[in-house]
Amino acid sequence: MLLSDAFKTATRSLTHGKMRTILTMLGIIIGIASVIILMSIGQSAQNLILGQVQGIGSNLLFVVPGAPSGGGFSSPASAQGIIITTLQQRDIDALSREPSISGVAAEVRGQAEAVYGSNNKTVGYQGVSEDFFSVRNMDVGKGRALSKGDIDSASHVAVIGPTLANTLFGTVVDPLNKNIRVKNISFRIVGVLSKGGTGAFGVDQGDLVIIPLRVAQKQMLGISHFNNIQVAANPEYEVAFVKARISSVLRQNHSITTSNKDDFTIRTQEDILSLLGNITSILTLFLAAIASISLIVGGIGIMNIMLVSVTERTREIGLRKAVGATDNDILKQFLIESVLLTVAGGVIGIAVGAAIVGLVYFVLSTFFTSIGWVFAFPISAVILGLGVSTVAGLVFGIYPARQAGRKNPIDALRYE
Amino acid sequence: MINIKDLKKEYVEEETTTRALRSVTFSIEKGEFVSIMGPSGSGKSTLLHILSFLDRPTSGSYTFLGKSIDDMDDRELAHVRNKDMGFVFQSFNLLSRLTVYDNVEIPLLYSDIPPSNRQERIEEAVRSVGLAEKLHTEAGKLSGGQKQRVAIARALVTDPNIIFADEPTGNLDSQSGLQVMEVLDTLHKKGRTIVLVTHETQTAEFANRIIRIKDGLVESDKVVTNRQFTQHLK
Repeated sequence: MLLSDAFKTATRSLTHGKMRTILTMLGIIIGIASVIILMSIGQSAQNLILGQVQGIGSNLLFVVPGAPSGGGFSSPASAQGIIITTLQQRDIDALSREPSISGVAAEVRGQAEAVYGSNNKTVGYQGVSEDFFSVRNMDVGKGRALSKGDIDSASHVAVIGPTLANTLFGTVVDPLNKNIRVKNISFRIVGVLSKGGTGAFGVDQGDLVIIPLRVAQKQMLGISHFNNIQVAANPEYEVAFVKARISSVLRQNHSITTSNKDDFTIRTQEDILSLLGNITSILTLFLAAIASISLIVGGIGIMNIMLVSVTERTREIGLRKAVGATDNDILKQFLIESVLLTVAGGVIGIAVGAAIVGLVYFVLSTFFTSIGWVFAFPISAVILGLGVSTVAGLVFGIYPARQAGRKNPIDALRYE
Repeated sequence: MINIKDLKKEYVEEETTTRALRSVTFSIEKGEFVSIMGPSGSGKSTLLHILSFLDRPTSGSYTFLGKSIDDMDDRELAHVRNKDMGFVFQSFNLLSRLTVYDNVEIPLLYSDIPPSNRQERIEEAVRSVGLAEKLHTEAGKLSGGQKQRVAIARALVTDPNIIFADEPTGNLDSQSGLQVMEVLDTLHKKGRTIVLVTHETQTAEFANRIIRIKDGLVESDKVVTNRQFTQHLK
C-alpha cells in the first residue's frame, strides 16, 4: 500500500467522525498547549530576570561576608541568615585605593514600615555609601540622588522607588520634599527612582527606600559592618583580574593567608546570571514536566478511542484483508490515523498555546507595565510540541494498530 | 485452475475436535461457473475460505494456478487474493460512508496497479454492473441489490482470474437476487471463473456445475445441462 493511499484512507476515517476526532484530540491539544504556555512563560520570566540583572551593569562585582560553604554556587553563610561582621569600613577604604576599581559602594539592609499620613507599606530600606548610585547604574527620575554631603552628615533624606511613591502619595501629590517615617525616623524625600522591577537578589526596587549608610547602620540597625560591598570594575581591566585583586586586598585586610580560609565571597555578574539562568531553566523544565502529565492522559485517551475504533471497524478490517491487505497494511493505516490525530492535536495545541502566550503578554504589557514583561515564544517549545505529539501518536497508537493488523479475516468478516 | 486433493480441515477447541472437511477432492477449470451447495454446517463455507486463501487446510493439497498453498506465506496469499481473486459477500461488506467509487477502489489500494490507471478501471467495473450513474453516491444510500452490484464491481476491479461469491443473494429480495445473478452470469459468459456458495437451489442452478457438500464430504459433483437461467427470466 502506498504511503499516500494510507494517508488518504486515514484522513478519510478521521474526517468522517469529526466530533469524535476533535474530542479525542482535546487531551493532546490541552497537553501541548500547557507545555507551550509554561515553556514560553518560563522563558519570558528568565529573560526578564536576566535582563534586569544585566541592567545593573556588566562590570559589577558583589562581595558578601562569609566563605562559600561548599564551593560552586552554594550560599555563603551570610545568605543563610548567619550574621557575619567581617566587611568593615577599612575594606571600603582599601578597595577605593585600588586602581582596577572605579567605584565601591557599601550597603546595609533592613525591613520596616514606611508611613506617610494614613498610608503605609512594609518595605526594604538600604543604607548606602556615596558611590552606590553610580556603581549600580541607578537612575533617579525625579529629584536627585543622595549626595556626598547627605552621606557624610548622615542626613535624614531618602530616595524611594516609584511603586512606593505611588502607594504613599498617589498620583496627585508630589513626593519630593515630603517627609515619610521609616522605623519612627522622619526622612525627607529628595528623589524618586525612575523604574522599579526586581533588582539583584530579588529585591523589588519599586518599593525601595534608600538612605545614607550611617543613618541605617547606627540609628536603625545598630551595627558597624556591611551586608555587602558592590564594586564597579575599572573598564580597562578584566573582571576576573578585578575579582583577584579584591580577594587579595580583602585577604590582606583580614589577615588571611590561604584562600580556603576566606571570610568573604565575591560574585561577578556572570556568576549571578549563570546561577539565575540555571534556576529558571530548571523551573521551566519542572513546569513543562508537570504539563506533560496531561499529555500522557491525552495519549491514553487516544489509545482508548483507537481501540474502540478498531473494534467498531472489525468488518472493514476483514474486508480489507480479504481483498489483499496484509497485516502490515492494516497496522500502517491505524498507526497513521493515530499519529495524524496527535500531530493535528499538537499543531492546534501549539496555536492555542501561542494565542494564550500572546494574550498574557498583551495583558501584562498593557495593564501591568511596571513588570516590564518580555514576550518569548521559544522555537524549542514548538519543536518539542510537534516531536512529543508525533511520539505520543506512535506510542499510544501502536497497540491498537497491532490489534487491528492481527485480526483474522474470517472472524473479522463475521463480526456483528 | 484449482486442484484440491484429500483436503481436510479440523478445528480444535479445548479438547473437542470438529472435522469441518473430512476429505474433499475436485478440480475447477478456467471459465467454469461452479456452485457449492450444502445445508448449514456441511462445511461449504470452510471450503470456500480455504479455496479463497482466507484459511489454510489442516492436511491435503491445494494448488491454485499451479502453485501449492503450502509454498506461500501469508504475505503471498494476500497478494494472490488481491491479484487473482475477487470476493462477493452475503452482507456486501461495503463501507457505507464511502462513495461507490471509493468502495470499488479499495482492492486497488493494495495492488501493484499504478494510481494513474485506477480511475479508468473503477469506472469500467462500475459500468459493467450497470451503476455508472451512481459512481459518486454514498454506498449507504443504495438499495440492497445495488449494493451487491457495487460489491461485484469491487471484485472485478483488479481483473481477477476467479470470483468467489458467498451467498450473494442471501440478503436480497428475489428481484434483486435475480439481477445480481444475471450480472454474475454475464461475467461467466465473458470467460470469468466463478465459484458460488449457496444453499438456495434456484441460485445454484445458474452454475454449469454443482458440487454438493454434506458432513465435510463431497456428496455429488454434477454438470448442469439444463440451466435455469431462462426460466428465471420468464
